[in-house]
Amino acid sequence: MLIGIDVGGTFTDGVLCSEGRIINSAKHPTKEDDLQDSIFAVLDDLLQGIKSSNKTSSITQVVLSTTLVTNLLASGGGDEVALVLLPGPGLNFRNIDFLPHTYIATGAINFRGRVTEPLDQKEIEEIGKLIVDAGLHKVAVVGKFSQRNSSHERKVEEILKGRYSHLEVFRGFEVSGQLNFPRRAVTTYYTAVTREKWAGFAAGIEKAIRDRGIASPINILKADGGTMPLEVSLHYPCETVFSGPAASVMGAFALTMDRQTSVVVDIGGTTTDLALILEGKPLYASRGAVIGGRYSHVRSFAVRSIPLGGDSAIRWAGDSVTIGPDRLGPAACFGGPVATPTDAVNFLGEGKLGSLSLSVGALENVARRAGLTARELAQTIVLQVNERLEESIKEIFKAWEQEPAYKIWEIVNKRPVELDRAVGIGAAAESFVPSLANRLGCRALVHRYSPVANALGAAVARPTLSLLMHADTEQQTYYLNLEGISGKISPGWQLKDAKELARKQLQQIAEKRGIGRYADRYEFFLEEQFNMIRGWLTAGKLFDVGVQIAPGIIDDFKGVES
Amino acid sequence: MNKNNRNTYAYLQAKKEKTASAGQTGLVFFPAFDWAISPTHPEREERLLYTRDQLFEEGIMDLPQICQYQPRLAEFKDIARVHFCVPDIETQATEAHRIAAGGALVIADALMSGEIKNGFALVRPPGHHAMRVVHGNRGFCNINNEPIMIEYLRQKFGLQRIAIVDTDVHHGDGTQDIYWHDPDTLFISFHQDGRTLYPGSGFTDEIGGPLAAGTTLNVPLPPGTTDEGILFVLDNLVLPVLDEFQPELIVNSAGQDNHYSDPLANMAFSARGYALLNEKLSPDIAVLEGGYSVETALPYVNLGIIMAMAGIDYSNLYEPDHSDNFFREERSNLKRLEEIVRELSGVFRRRKELVDATRRQNSGSLLQKHRQIYYDTDQIRETQLETIKVCSDCPGYLFIESAAVGRRGRYNIYCISIPIKCCPRCRQEARDQYAKMKRQDSKSFDYLYLQDRPDDVYLQYDFHLKREKAL
Repeated sequence: MLIGIDVGGTFTDGVLCSEGRIINSAKHPTKEDDLQDSIFAVLDDLLQGIKSSNKTSSITQVVLSTTLVTNLLASGGGDEVALVLLPGPGLNFRNIDFLPHTYIATGAINFRGRVTEPLDQKEIEEIGKLIVDAGLHKVAVVGKFSQRNSSHERKVEEILKGRYSHLEVFRGFEVSGQLNFPRRAVTTYYTAVTREKWAGFAAGIEKAIRDRGIASPINILKADGGTMPLEVSLHYPCETVFSGPAASVMGAFALTMDRQTSVVVDIGGTTTDLALILEGKPLYASRGAVIGGRYSHVRSFAVRSIPLGGDSAIRWAGDSVTIGPDRLGPAACFGGPVATPTDAVNFLGEGKLGSLSLSVGALENVARRAGLTARELAQTIVLQVNERLEESIKEIFKAWEQEPAYKIWEIVNKRPVELDRAVGIGAAAESFVPSLANRLGCRALVHRYSPVANALGAAVARPTLSLLMHADTEQQTYYLNLEGISGKISPGWQLKDAKELARKQLQQIAEKRGIGRYADRYEFFLEEQFNMIRGWLTAGKLFDVGVQIAPGIIDDFKGVES
Repeated sequence: MNKNNRNTYAYLQAKKEKTASAGQTGLVFFPAFDWAISPTHPEREERLLYTRDQLFEEGIMDLPQICQYQPRLAEFKDIARVHFCVPDIETQATEAHRIAAGGALVIADALMSGEIKNGFALVRPPGHHAMRVVHGNRGFCNINNEPIMIEYLRQKFGLQRIAIVDTDVHHGDGTQDIYWHDPDTLFISFHQDGRTLYPGSGFTDEIGGPLAAGTTLNVPLPPGTTDEGILFVLDNLVLPVLDEFQPELIVNSAGQDNHYSDPLANMAFSARGYALLNEKLSPDIAVLEGGYSVETALPYVNLGIIMAMAGIDYSNLYEPDHSDNFFREERSNLKRLEEIVRELSGVFRRRKELVDATRRQNSGSLLQKHRQIYYDTDQIRETQLETIKVCSDCPGYLFIESAAVGRRGRYNIYCISIPIKCCPRCRQEARDQYAKMKRQDSKSFDYLYLQDRPDDVYLQYDFHLKREKAL
């Protein structure tokens, strides 16, 4: 049996499932100031009925998707951190108000990993004093091109800790080896901000789960739709942001299990999240997740969130009917204060939800002011919702089609998106997705598990791991984007050697992280080689290789009952 | 530089999706990582690799000042508007060339729609040595990206007066050839003295054709010229001339081989010098041309151009081996530059006089010029007879007879070009000439071309197959 719990902004959902069937599901309002309480309430509901019969031992996986880190970053509830940047030539960071407690130091590395400017030991010592005087204990150190030569970052740590041994130092090259220095700085900084609080939260969760007699692995859902073991998450708390929308996309996978092109429409109470699955592969945000208003190196699905949900408040604005962006409470049919899109659908669909008369009353309230009948108003609302969703979906297509490309074959072979299907997630999906699909000219998929598909998606998601390797045969060095790993290679290396090493490294890291079982599911997503010519002779080769365990569904899950 | 030192609080805030806005700088970055002239050629896959690393690591595309675009394939018609390709466009313009030209078109469209305030097509392969007639590759170029973009802008958006400032270290002889007879296109090239560098042209006496004299200006720079020298030319010649010409659009044909580390030339320009040049010139569109110091110059120069165009503080941009005292200009050089500036300012001032005199003396007649062109990359020798109609009402039509011998054999072609502002009488004469040539069933030519810009129609007639293709 599998347990999936998705902590959303409004509700926390959970499912207990086995062999494609949901045995138990639960829903509780999310208490933002006490997420653990919401999680335990859902967990206890799920375990009702199986607890007594001592079946908790047959639970094989618990996956949790949570907003803790997102909330910490939004509320400023994390730890105060100093950021030491080594930007070298380029943007003038001394004139940029980047993040609080940012210190700029000299010392530069270039794109080949060569030191082009030494560190200034005295300057680092002075920065160390300023950091300590400011009462800070945590320091993130990030240098431009540090992934290609980490010596400056290591040395900064050595100098700082040599003087102030109590400082905890986070090094950029270990957090992400992808190109993009500001994103690396942001990711390293937020890792330092959240790691301690996340560790406390994780310990509480683990204890509660063990106290309930569950001995299975506990996994955390990441923004890329994959899971990581709880103990791994202690190093990478930022990976847990935006796991909610990722849970929805994985839910769509769990419901479909095929290679079609779908738009995932997750209609919540306040917002609707839209994501794209292209021929069975989810579309990633090309710039990484946006954390605290800044781009990061956290790999995340390209999710567009629009302020339009089943409970969005409907008003007459004097010249037009407006929907949202706010939610004043549940839909009128469930005792809420104002008419909502859910009420409009309820009215047109002859009242399957809550109280039809409450829906009609709330709609008439607005309709009277707008000079419409309740039916006309309801039709206007449904049309407007559909139009706005359609427009946003088309924008996603357009954004994808306009993604930059750097090779001829990418331009020549670019095709427009041909949508097969709209997959509805969330309780309100049934009301809106069929007509939306009609407008988009594709099929609609709304399953009876759609209302809890997000939690289902979390329950059945498998681990992911994405490795990028940059290798330089002239420097005889390779670097990984993961864990700051680098090493030596021979000058005669070819692309096949690069690929082989990348694959082996992926396997080793997977094993170390307790997800070795999935290491044979690797796929290469990047293979580039360049000859370095100096004076008409080949001086060496540069390779960029990407290999990953892509997001997917665990082996034990074969699909939902139809 | 002070105006750039504004506080940049919002620089690294994430943009809301891809919302281009009028204040942004458009960027097409197309490094063509799967294209090379040959494996060890300077124009190879590796050329923009370190530029990619530098731009990506800098996170420059994440800044709200930058809006990145994807290039597209230029249409064959976009190319035919400028070039007579032998034996056909498909042979001369591969997909890589069409994407490089298409990158410039994407920027042009974004600029005209008001999505961006200016834009940089950071594309390869380059184009500024490609002339009107294309028998093959010259100076690493097959088709000329800037004229393709400019003629597209004229057809689609009705622009007229356009200035091209060619800042590549090599004389932009292809662009000069294409606009030699066009008084509405001001072409200014500064480059290393042609007596010391390919293509061996671009002297001060090359000032444009008889009806467009003074709208081509060439500044041959002594080898070793520094930031100071080039900026002297910019301040004292280029900017005043632009101010008087009042172009609707300024294009920087942005080669980067004036850099002190370039392996194919001998100049001493720096990345910050390039940034300052672009800040002062303030081009609407920049298009990458040459520049082969792939590791020590391009990553920094490209970054500098982007920063300058986007109004981003570039005071911290420098090459790792840069030292401020490299870059003082020698007195004797400055003196030589002063003379050139004086001479060319005079030519530009007298341009109307010069053209009027030609018209008075030769109105109604046909003026002819023989020339030879060599294609270094493809090892071709071309001879041309150019004939221009001197009309008192318009820039006149142009006939070109061209013969070339290269590895593909020998081709003889006859080309007719009707400029967009051609008067009705000249237009008719040129069209009649095409019809007459076609009827004659010539044995001396392989192909006949008509470039009818007023109607935006481009014909190519094959004398052997007796077949006409129209675009």
